[in-house]
Amino acid sequence: MNLNPEFQRQLYLECSQARLIGIPAVLGIIFTFSYFIDGYRLGNATAKAALILFMLITLLWGARQAVDSIVEEYRDRTWDIQRLSALGPWEMAWGKLFGSTVMVWYAGLLCLFAYGLAIDDYAALPLLIFYSICAALLVQSGSLLLGLLAVRRGQTKSGSIFLLAVIGFLSIAPWLSDVSNLTSYALPDSTTHWYEMRFSSGDFHQISLLLALFWCAVGNYRLMSLELGLRATPWVWLGFSVFLMIYVGGFMPGSAYAFWLAAFAVCGTLTYVGVLVESNDAMRIKRLLTYFAERNWRRGSEELPIWWLSFLLLLPAALVLSLSEHPLREFSLRFHFYPLAMVLILLRDCGIYIYFCYGKNPQRALSMTLLFAVLLYGILPGIFNTLGQNGLAALFFPLWADSAGGALLCALLQTGWVSSLLYRRWKANS
Amino acid sequence: MITVDKLIFEYPGLRALDNVSFQMNQGSITALVGPNGAGKTTLLRCMAALDRPVGGTITIEDIDVLEQPRECHRIIGYLSDFFGLYQRLTVRQCLHFVARAQGITDSDCPAAITEVCRRLHIEDRLEMRPDELSRGLRQRVAIAQAIIHKPSLVLLDEPASGLDPEARHELAELFLDLQRQGMTLLVSSHILAELEAYCTDMLVLRKGCLVEQVAVKTPQHHKPFKLLLAQAVPNLADILTQLPDIELLKTEHDRLALIRLTTDTQHQHAVLKALLALNLPVCEFAPAASNLQDAYLQTIRQRP
Repeated sequence: MNLNPEFQRQLYLECSQARLIGIPAVLGIIFTFSYFIDGYRLGNATAKAALILFMLITLLWGARQAVDSIVEEYRDRTWDIQRLSALGPWEMAWGKLFGSTVMVWYAGLLCLFAYGLAIDDYAALPLLIFYSICAALLVQSGSLLLGLLAVRRGQTKSGSIFLLAVIGFLSIAPWLSDVSNLTSYALPDSTTHWYEMRFSSGDFHQISLLLALFWCAVGNYRLMSLELGLRATPWVWLGFSVFLMIYVGGFMPGSAYAFWLAAFAVCGTLTYVGVLVESNDAMRIKRLLTYFAERNWRRGSEELPIWWLSFLLLLPAALVLSLSEHPLREFSLRFHFYPLAMVLILLRDCGIYIYFCYGKNPQRALSMTLLFAVLLYGILPGIFNTLGQNGLAALFFPLWADSAGGALLCALLQTGWVSSLLYRRWKANS
Repeated sequence: MITVDKLIFEYPGLRALDNVSFQMNQGSITALVGPNGAGKTTLLRCMAALDRPVGGTITIEDIDVLEQPRECHRIIGYLSDFFGLYQRLTVRQCLHFVARAQGITDSDCPAAITEVCRRLHIEDRLEMRPDELSRGLRQRVAIAQAIIHKPSLVLLDEPASGLDPEARHELAELFLDLQRQGMTLLVSSHILAELEAYCTDMLVLRKGCLVEQVAVKTPQHHKPFKLLLAQAVPNLADILTQLPDIELLKTEHDRLALIRLTTDTQHQHAVLKALLALNLPVCEFAPAASNLQDAYLQTIRQRP
């Protein structure tokens, strides 16, 4: 049988006889214990134990397995062998995702089976199974995505990535528990408003979960394609940014300003995310400029950093917000909402991060940037503000300026200075 | 035919490959030599579509490597300087995975594994894990992984490092065997004496530039001869240049000379006769042993 080779390799690694026998044995002991607690029947304690075990196994162990399926390859220097294979990105991605978690699902399904035996009301069981499996797949798929990003950044330790997976677990586990509690009775008849439309909250959550899974799969495919050397323009990131703008915009109260505010927040966040997740390589910019100089637009666009795209989408949102009249323009007497100045501050922050990425210790770029952020956003403006020097405070944190023009000027000064430093470092590196 | 044209690769602050251009003929074994940091591994990685250069093109059998990396992977085999073996799988499982990943069907895998293991003499190690094998055997398993799908071009980065003389000899035999089957090989190595046993061409890289591409084993019409005299003869160079049909390459201390003669034995006999007629105290007159190391050192010295 011609199985997916990567899936088969993972089976070789994961499916040992000891595990195949050991997992049901350990679970059997736990459920026997809960059987005694329930008074010699499978009841509430068994159901709870099964659900908790399912979450622990599929979310935590599953996330760890998914991260390691790629980071371990990089660490053991076998990743080049995989990159040299004739496998396509999709084959490689699903082979890793499902192959590395095969024992996780073996154990998880046993837990779900025990849960099914322990509950009395089966009406809502399909919904719980749907949520459990989709949530676990989302965390595992997200972990693979994080692993791929780590590999692209040359990161070989999976601990920090796993931490993010734990955060995923902590956010999903209580929610899944709630679902299990609700299924014991009846689901509340709540509705969700999205762009003047009304949806049943349950349906909306399910569709949202499936959409999140879809984008995770697309992200994995795209990153795997890049790892395998396939050339592609960053349309996936562009598509994701637009999708998220539209999706989040739907929750805002119905006005154009609210939509653009959502777009501004989404694109701003994605710009930060984009600059953090991608490898900021000085040579990439050189390649990009070389291709553009040769008028090779397709090649050039392949080298575009993804955060540039989010930043480009941010600009019209900032412009619309700047030209609109709205109470949000002033938060308080001192703090103002100047979208264009915020755009420049965002650019400054990205510039500072990339400046450190081009340095001798790019591993410390994030911590150094955070340190500077504390200085620029908190300590320095705070000191000047306390001294009553509001103008100097605005120089560091332009949103404290009294006018939009003043804020823009302060932000421009900072961005210009950071850009010149960045340019000099880039020239030295390329 | 493999063509590399104006290849440029840069690391931050360093140009690792600078306008490298060359061609390799089908069925050749080319030695890729150069000092440490010359760009050998970078060149091999670019040719294997593992790293993306800033500029230039690489074409292997009409496939543009930079445009179609996956198609390129189907026709090349690559051995990295670290072997890239899965320590938790057996040798059989490693080979099975690579064979399947290179598109060999499951039913054809056993035959492919048997054949490559027979060729590399690792049939009896199939159920062992790579971490249980010696370095030489791990090297063989890694080579088996690189050639199991019978690629037309095999790129080998330092394949003989850490091997004992016997294993090196076997490796040379294997490369010649692969060449006989029509494969083209590009072998990077520091051990020039080992390369000499099987290489047909030599590429010399230095500081990211291609210094020279020479054919090592081609039919020659001229070859260098070493002339050694029993004692020094004043103005030896002048005496030798007066002789017809010889080319003086160099003299040392008026006692040793390196001359170039045609491969015609009658001509060689005539030259020796002429030398003796001049009453030169000839004590040695024989083809000069020119090897890859000499050629390499000569190239490096000529082009600092």
